[in-house]
Amino acid sequence: MTAVDTARVGGHRSPARRTPPRPPRWRRIGEQALNGAFTLPALIIYVGLMVIPVGYAVYYSFTEYNGIPSQSPEWVGLDNYTRIFADPASEMHSSLLVTAAIAIIGSLVVNAVALALALLLQKKSRFNTVGRVVMFYPHVLSALIVGFLWQALLGPHGAINGLIEASVGSTIPFLSDPNVALWTLIGVIIWAQFGVQLVLYIAGLQTVSAELQEAARIDGATRVQVFRHVTWPALAPTFTIALVTSLLSLLKAYDVVLGLTNGGPGDATQTWAYEILAVSFANNRVGLACAQAVLLIVVAAILSFSIMALRRRADAGAEAIS
Amino acid sequence: MNKTRRTSNAIRVAALSVLGIAMLVPLYILVINAFKPQQDILLSPLTLDPATATTEFLEAAWNSTQFPVIDSYLFTLLLVVACNVVSIAVSVPAAYVIARTPGLVFGIVLMFFVAGMFIPAQIILVPTIFVLKAVGLMGTIPGLVLFMSATMIPFTLFIFSGYIRMLPRTLDEAAMIDGASRLRVIWTIVFPLMKPIVATAFVLNALSAWNDFVSPQLILGPGAEHKTITTGVYAAVSSYSTNYEVVFPTLLLAITPILVIFVIMQRFIMTGLASGAVKG
Repeated sequence: MTAVDTARVGGHRSPARRTPPRPPRWRRIGEQALNGAFTLPALIIYVGLMVIPVGYAVYYSFTEYNGIPSQSPEWVGLDNYTRIFADPASEMHSSLLVTAAIAIIGSLVVNAVALALALLLQKKSRFNTVGRVVMFYPHVLSALIVGFLWQALLGPHGAINGLIEASVGSTIPFLSDPNVALWTLIGVIIWAQFGVQLVLYIAGLQTVSAELQEAARIDGATRVQVFRHVTWPALAPTFTIALVTSLLSLLKAYDVVLGLTNGGPGDATQTWAYEILAVSFANNRVGLACAQAVLLIVVAAILSFSIMALRRRADAGAEAIS
Repeated sequence: MNKTRRTSNAIRVAALSVLGIAMLVPLYILVINAFKPQQDILLSPLTLDPATATTEFLEAAWNSTQFPVIDSYLFTLLLVVACNVVSIAVSVPAAYVIARTPGLVFGIVLMFFVAGMFIPAQIILVPTIFVLKAVGLMGTIPGLVLFMSATMIPFTLFIFSGYIRMLPRTLDEAAMIDGASRLRVIWTIVFPLMKPIVATAFVLNALSAWNDFVSPQLILGPGAEHKTITTGVYAAVSSYSTNYEVVFPTLLLAITPILVIFVIMQRFIMTGLASGAVKG
């Protein structure tokens, strides 16, 4: 820092206190060019295949376009967006509700379960290692495969209904009743997701000061009080990260839906991502698909940044403790 | 005191055991039913009679033309390696420059990359297809690898630049004075010190590439010559989803290796995930 500052103020030769000799001007310009060159490959790939597509998405979202190369997109202004909000054929609002239900219920349950299990599994022991592996393993399976697996287990003739029928005499319409199917989907998503947050909470618990917990206990605090006043405040940054990561992955649920219900019965389990990929895009409504995609990205960004902003005080408090 | 602690630990172990078994039941049903004909699966899904167990359906799934097992594995492995090589190779020098150059410009560059972490890959895929078409990479393996790498770069670069900031500057300055070029400093001095964080990035990127379904399905197309494990499973299972003689053996073939890898490397994978998130 100082090297740069003196260079700007004091001309070409500063007192030779610092070991690296000041490079001549041409070399500094060369250095800056080199800096640029080193970021270039990453920038080209990232801009070309992530940033420009976002630009395309924004542009197409204002057009009517069927994606056929010989035809060009036709400017329609805000039509796609008003269509999403008014939903004249009432096909999209249900997927908004489905996605909201998955995101809200899912992130609450995932974080509650993950935190509870993290508290039970935080100590190092062979039993706990096995426990962590068992709780986490669904996450290493692809979401599509998780969907297919549960589809085979919960279908009308699946293994679980076979057992229920054998013992009670009737079956549960896990996947065939629209209302039940949504709960089934949420349950399966939670089953596959919470392991990630569990690992985050276990890592977070390791940073909580053991002396502070011990001191509180010696002062006569109960377990609940220790958790409430010591552990939980210290976990604040972990909670923020776990909440944001779970929310982001729940908002884009698609593969698991494809495997489990394929959006059905009817449109009862169609998520917003399913709407984009398997309905709008599959029916060549590129403009509409892009408007839906832009909306999802905006919502995801607003949610993540507001959570992080709201949690800033709690996060700062945690730093003060540790 | 001691007694209550022991009871509470017993309750803890019991509760965790019940839940753990519940977590494993789906896997158990999947494994045993891969060795049974449809009739047996429907009648007694929880038991396996060794007398009637057969590998017939596993063999059929192994020889399926929809999901060519060996080919799909090799192709998925290729994708995992290629995406990691590309995203790590371009992220290291960029992260080095961002971490080591003071000033606003590279701070903004970092934020620009970080913003990409909030863009879900499968959501941005629709417009990406038009970009890939425009540059002639649609339907090609390089196109797929570049797109998947692009989705990995923001996170990889972010954790790399955070890590390089913690490395002492004196190391690379000393090498620079000795006349080593910048590129040499990055790859022979800084990169070897980054082993733990590179491993973290590798694990997380490998997991996401291995399990990605939408990108290969849409970029290569459903009728593509090469299938990944996920697109292969989709082709083999989606139209036969109530034919459990097909579903269970196919899924078993698709998950066994990744589960074995996971169990062997569980500590590494889970700490990688945790440290990635803490740095992120």
